[in-house]
Amino acid sequence: MHLDRIVSRIILVAKLPGNNRRVEASEELRTHLEDLAEEVRSQGYGDEALNRIVRMRFGKAEEIAGAFASVYAPERLARLILQSAMFVTASTVAVVMVIGAVQLIAAICTATSVVSILRGIHEEVFGFAAVTAGYCSAYAGERLFPTSLTKAPLLSATLGVCLAAVFGWLVPQDAALPLAAFASAAAGRLLQRVEIPFVWFAGTALPLLMAWALFGPLISGWQFPWLVWVGLTVSCKALREIVRLFERLFVEDFA
Amino acid sequence: MPFDRELLKGSIALLILKLLSERDMYGYEIIQESLRRSQDAFEFKEGTLYPALHQLHKRGYLHSEWRTGKNGKQRKYYGLTAAGRKAARRSQLEWLSFTKVVNAILSKANA
Repeated sequence: MHLDRIVSRIILVAKLPGNNRRVEASEELRTHLEDLAEEVRSQGYGDEALNRIVRMRFGKAEEIAGAFASVYAPERLARLILQSAMFVTASTVAVVMVIGAVQLIAAICTATSVVSILRGIHEEVFGFAAVTAGYCSAYAGERLFPTSLTKAPLLSATLGVCLAAVFGWLVPQDAALPLAAFASAAAGRLLQRVEIPFVWFAGTALPLLMAWALFGPLISGWQFPWLVWVGLTVSCKALREIVRLFERLFVEDFA
Repeated sequence: MPFDRELLKGSIALLILKLLSERDMYGYEIIQESLRRSQDAFEFKEGTLYPALHQLHKRGYLHSEWRTGKNGKQRKYYGLTAAGRKAARRSQLEWLSFTKVVNAILSKANA
């Protein structure tokens, strides 16, 4: 008898928020199906007829799951918004810390004033935002279109165009570097899905190389392009760990 | 005569509230009781009862707890809260006045 399969299907499709609720609902449905099967069996039906009758009386798993999903839709949306906000905040903090640390190490190595680096860090707010937005949009694209490799980058591409317009309007002189950082972070995330290790390093490097080839001398703070790449690559690595942590913590809510 | 699905769906909350106003029950018991009282006429997909129960629970009309039955099986029992009792009375009155109006129209149409 495939009672467990019916229950698992309902719970999987319904995407009920919260692990306890999922466990409780599956237990409740399983008990009902067992009672139903017992009743049908007591009427003398064999296994084949029993399966058919149980399916007929209980209803289609997808329909029940759809009804469950609509009951919990507002709660699920609220949790998703909260978790996404936590994810973006954690990602931004990680990016600021990683790039800040890389800059500090570089300052120490080149005997530059650390105080001046820290004082000027607020000027890189567009860069931090761009890295976070690039990575998070690529990840969101994966979640929205888990099976389509062509549709997944669409979200990043759309956001990239919007950011280009905003940065071009707000900081036209300094727009190239944040946009290159955005593209690097998005490409880094997309290539992190490739099985070959370290191939995503190319993802973070390629947009930077293109930006350097096109606008190199015009970009402010471009004295150490390899350092920018190191900062971006380590940021992408840190962001990948944050994604893994969130997926582990929120299991089906987030994944 | 099988009833229209939408009609059943619209009245399921009222039936749950009414049955639970008498005593606490678990899902399968609610189905059995509604079949018994309607002499097997009120037949709907049993799985759809649970989203309806969860909806009423979320609205604060029901409380629930796991209890061990006679055969040692754990079952989730539902009962009415104070808000649920009010909702049950309100829904019943609403239904009665609605059917009264519909019946009045139907009887005039048949006359």
